[in-house]
Amino acid sequence: MPREAEPSLNEKQFVLQALQDSVRLDGRELEQYRPLELTFGDQYGVADVTLGKTRVLAKASAELTVPYADRPLDGIFNIATELSPMTSPAFEVNRPTETEVLISRLLEKTVRRSGALDTESLCLVAGQKCWSIRVDVHVLSHDGNLIDAACFAVVAALRHFRKPDTSMEGGVLTVYTPAEREPVPLSWLHSPFCVTWSFFGEEGDIAVLDATWMEEQVRSGSCTVSLNQHGEICQIAKLGGVPVEAVSLLHCTNVALVKAKDMSSKLDRWLAEDAKRRDKGGLLAELSAENDRVPDM
Amino acid sequence: MPLDTSTYNLALLRVDGRRWNELRRIHAQIRTQAAADGSSYLEMGHTKVMCVVTGPSEPGPRRGVAGAGGGGGGGGAGGQSKEAEVVVNIVIAGFSSVDRKRRGRGDKRTLEMQSTLSNTLAATLHTHLFPHSQINISLHVLSQDGSLLAALINAATLACVDAGIPMTDYVTACTAGSTSTYAANDEGADPLLDLNHQEEQELPGLTVATLGDSDKVVALVCESRVQISRLEGMLAVGVDGCKQVREILDQVIKAQGQKMILEGTVDKGTGLNDMDLD
Repeated sequence: MPREAEPSLNEKQFVLQALQDSVRLDGRELEQYRPLELTFGDQYGVADVTLGKTRVLAKASAELTVPYADRPLDGIFNIATELSPMTSPAFEVNRPTETEVLISRLLEKTVRRSGALDTESLCLVAGQKCWSIRVDVHVLSHDGNLIDAACFAVVAALRHFRKPDTSMEGGVLTVYTPAEREPVPLSWLHSPFCVTWSFFGEEGDIAVLDATWMEEQVRSGSCTVSLNQHGEICQIAKLGGVPVEAVSLLHCTNVALVKAKDMSSKLDRWLAEDAKRRDKGGLLAELSAENDRVPDM
Repeated sequence: MPLDTSTYNLALLRVDGRRWNELRRIHAQIRTQAAADGSSYLEMGHTKVMCVVTGPSEPGPRRGVAGAGGGGGGGGAGGQSKEAEVVVNIVIAGFSSVDRKRRGRGDKRTLEMQSTLSNTLAATLHTHLFPHSQINISLHVLSQDGSLLAALINAATLACVDAGIPMTDYVTACTAGSTSTYAANDEGADPLLDLNHQEEQELPGLTVATLGDSDKVVALVCESRVQISRLEGMLAVGVDGCKQVREILDQVIKAQGQKMILEGTVDKGTGLNDMDLD
């Protein structure tokens, strides 16, 4: 199994000593994120998130299937995470590394288990037909903090996504094409965001937000907190690592709330901008026979 | 099957008759397996786990999932490294819970627990004393009734002490919860200590593992939606519960040590003469 080359001792010491003096390699504050950018694709439900040099693409898709036998009233919602060798030579196809398992568990807990998407609304005919919503997460470039970027991409893709409209008349289910009826957004309940803290040093007393890959390789522990803008914690995962004072963990969650609110308002703004860009007057504009006016010669 | 948590407000008693700050009965044994380097058996209420530690020993053939990758803490660093690798393997018996469920090897929840345990212990064991080696910890879950991760961490700590692997201090864990679900926004919600399965299903809760007597949190796992204002109370109760668990585990270890000295299995070390053996 190929392994990522570890940073040299000199590099490690340099990063750690700089952090002792509250200096980061890229000149950021300890609690400052790298610039977060989001681009929506031409299709609905494609979100491309960049966080510094980390880049994650999420694509939501929907298909009609039969619901699970033990949950006849619920639709199906899955998040598939893929770390391909393109990201780093340490990732192999079809062989999930520990990182990949942990990321997909975290996304699942943050978005699926916290009930962000109302799965009951995906059911069309109880026990027979339902929507299966699937989000594919592709990591295109890995420069640390994959979790926060991936979570943001998943939430953005799902909120941007539109599924085909349907109707039930006399026991006949009709699915309309986008040309017949405007696709409808998913029934979205709240938007959770992940905020990952990295701890450095023997005592774990230096806490840093949005670590780069270099910083991740020398950190001694991490803690991911997922919150929504209403101040609800959806999940906390400090899976081992250096022991940290309980009080500083509480401080971390409070700062994380501020960051989550910030991300939430950013996403709202970008979604609104995108909606405005796409809005060409709806079906009426499309049906009108009028041509664009050609300027007079 | 909704659990009627509303009765809590009337009598301040939980479904199994405990008060808010009471642990369930903890029964623990060490040195249960004669052939192993270290072993333990732990019951927290009806949650029962067994742990066997082998090592530090020469690393075996590389396994599929562990190690490499990146991201996480100091867990699996590979056989060539300067620190011992802590490899954790959890087997959840099919008969352990009410509904018999088959969990394959690739179950993500189990993998996540394995990685949590491995990273938790790697931070506490003095792995740098055993370069190029591997510490194998296998855990068997015999019965599940909530607080599974906490029971696994406690059992692993006991087994590591039994195996004589140098470590900073005990890592002890327990769960804490909060009455009333996240939707009910009442400020008077009481924190609860040591959730059982029924409470775990119904109420928000978290698992916290601390180092020894301190307030230092090694692992903190919360999988349910909860108001941020409730976190402080839950964490405080959890950390306090960990200290109680530590006392209990400490007694178990000391009792076993005394027994072994009295039986003559081990020599009384120098400087132990003034130790009170009654």
